[in-house]
Amino acid sequence: PPETRAAAQARPRSGPAPVTDVAKLCVCDLLVAECDVNCCCDPDCSAADFSLFTTCSVPIVTGDSHLCSQKAAIYSLDVEANPPGRVFKLIDQVNPSVFCIHATNYKQALSFSSPEMPTSENFDQLLKQFGSASFSAEPDSWNMNTGAQNPSDVNETYRYEYGVPIQTVDAFLRLPSPVVSSWCSDANPAGFLVNQATKCIRSVSVEKCGNIRAVSMLFYINSSILAVNITVQSIVVQSLNGMRTLLNGSDVLRLPIILDELCINIVLGVTYHITYTDAGEIIEAAASFVLGAINKEALSIQQSFEISFTQVNTKPVPLSGNPGYVVGLPIRAGFRPQGYPFPVEILSAALVLNTNKYSQLTILQSTSNQDCLAAQGARTPILFGYNMISGCKLRISAAMKCQPLTQTLLDLLKGQSFPEYVASFGNSQAQDVLDWVPITHLHTSEQRICNTFQSSCQIPVSLEIEVKWTKYGSLVNPQARIVNVTATITTTTLKQLPSGRERTIPITSSVVFTDISSPAEPGYKAWPTINAKLPFDFFFPFV
Amino acid sequence: LSSVPLQILFYVNGIYYIFYFLATLAMIVYKSQVFSYPDDFLSPDLTLLFIMAVLEVLRLYLGSKGNLTEEEAPLGLSLVITVGSVILSVYFLVWQTYVLKADVIINAVLLFTYGLESVLKVVAIAAFVS
Repeated sequence: PPETRAAAQARPRSGPAPVTDVAKLCVCDLLVAECDVNCCCDPDCSAADFSLFTTCSVPIVTGDSHLCSQKAAIYSLDVEANPPGRVFKLIDQVNPSVFCIHATNYKQALSFSSPEMPTSENFDQLLKQFGSASFSAEPDSWNMNTGAQNPSDVNETYRYEYGVPIQTVDAFLRLPSPVVSSWCSDANPAGFLVNQATKCIRSVSVEKCGNIRAVSMLFYINSSILAVNITVQSIVVQSLNGMRTLLNGSDVLRLPIILDELCINIVLGVTYHITYTDAGEIIEAAASFVLGAINKEALSIQQSFEISFTQVNTKPVPLSGNPGYVVGLPIRAGFRPQGYPFPVEILSAALVLNTNKYSQLTILQSTSNQDCLAAQGARTPILFGYNMISGCKLRISAAMKCQPLTQTLLDLLKGQSFPEYVASFGNSQAQDVLDWVPITHLHTSEQRICNTFQSSCQIPVSLEIEVKWTKYGSLVNPQARIVNVTATITTTTLKQLPSGRERTIPITSSVVFTDISSPAEPGYKAWPTINAKLPFDFFFPFV
Repeated sequence: LSSVPLQILFYVNGIYYIFYFLATLAMIVYKSQVFSYPDDFLSPDLTLLFIMAVLEVLRLYLGSKGNLTEEEAPLGLSLVITVGSVILSVYFLVWQTYVLKADVIINAVLLFTYGLESVLKVVAIAAFVS
């Protein structure tokens, strides 16, 4: 009935008032309307019950013992009388200490405050105050400035920190990844500034073509990252035999449809490119898709996902270490632009860097057919710390001319753009010219005997790059620093062959990393000197 | 013509007040550790204790100077400050957050001393004026 409901809502907010009368307080009275055994203060017990008790479990009930004088209820059993009865005395107990509380002007001091009962009005405020893992011991009513939270935080755009999940309108930006098994799990949030690349398997079938949400483009660009919409940067269509073609117009949203017993426009890969400012805000988000098709027999597809972060107004150059080189990362190299004076102090880039990390400092890559002239320029980047050697075989016939052969071999050994400078640290910036080490070129000849007529042909047969590096920095965390790079080209004389004969000479190129760090010497502080001097007039009368 | 009992009383008052100040401060620290003493209640008590110390120093200096130089002006000013000290002492006796029995005892002694001093000051002023 509505009257009782209204009455129930109008009930006082706090619980029942605490009992402070010592005569009525009984902690051993646990059974309602029944006599508890050996509980002398139980009001449900009669005199007959008291005669059966052996002892009083609660002999005295007092108030706060810090007070100077307080009431006390003393219960005891009078065993002399026949039958034994309970004796109840109400006395004033005096605290003899001189530090007893004589009076207090602070109501909450002597008893526990009764907590507020939650109602629909104060539930949110109580949840905010007590809902976390810990809360202050003093309730907000004692605190003068409760409403002093600054509301300006609410309207500010979110500032992200490294690793924080990127929030979208409904949840987090998802990067499906394999969890436990290889099957895709959609619950992996993408962390800010965490470049990830994942591959996972998703089960599909042609019948459920339009129903599986995770293979349609809409699933990946539907959620907007707060104020930023996810735009489609490019769409690549992969046919059944694996050939990929880039589509021209990428504005159209292509949803999975069934065409000729194939399900096309299935998302095979998504690459997110997020642009952020240095204040930690995301200002742009773009997604590139790879769409494919499945036929009736396909039960599962492999999807690959990637996310990369770029700071606005910068061109990203991947670092090879911070600051020292990390073993396995490519060595960064660059050129000095033509006509550049040296030394320079300028603000813009003094060195032109190859942003493609695979074409910085490279070495010839051995191919399965070891013919140098058919090598087609395959090169592999030089990774720090990995000594490499590669080579090929050059078949020389009599018809080959010297000069073009020399040039071809030089191109083969050094590659198309052999850099001039190598970064000494993994994170050297292009502006700091002094952080870059010039590559020293040496030429040696295989023949020890110096031929007086130099008209014979010298062809380069080997390129050896020696990278000297040292340990730099603290003992506990030494950083690798490249000190010297020397490229040595060894030439040999090409003897004229009689016509019809062929010769095969090996061409090699190698990279060697040498650690030239001097052993660390511990440094000790100087011993403290004892500075004991007498005051200058110590021997006054005599000196 | 300077009142000797008043001077003795000033001297004794000075020594007793040092003891009173240290004892009250120690007891406030004890109370804050043993009982629940939130900052809203602790700061007025401490502030008033330090104000009382400053007033006491001023009061004793002016009174002593007035008594020895036989001038009634500093003595009268000291009497006025005594009124303030009495009010503060009554605060520590009755309106403090926790009044312990020791608080009652030392404040009672202090009030008694103030009363005696006031009487002697009035007598001394009357003697100087006439």
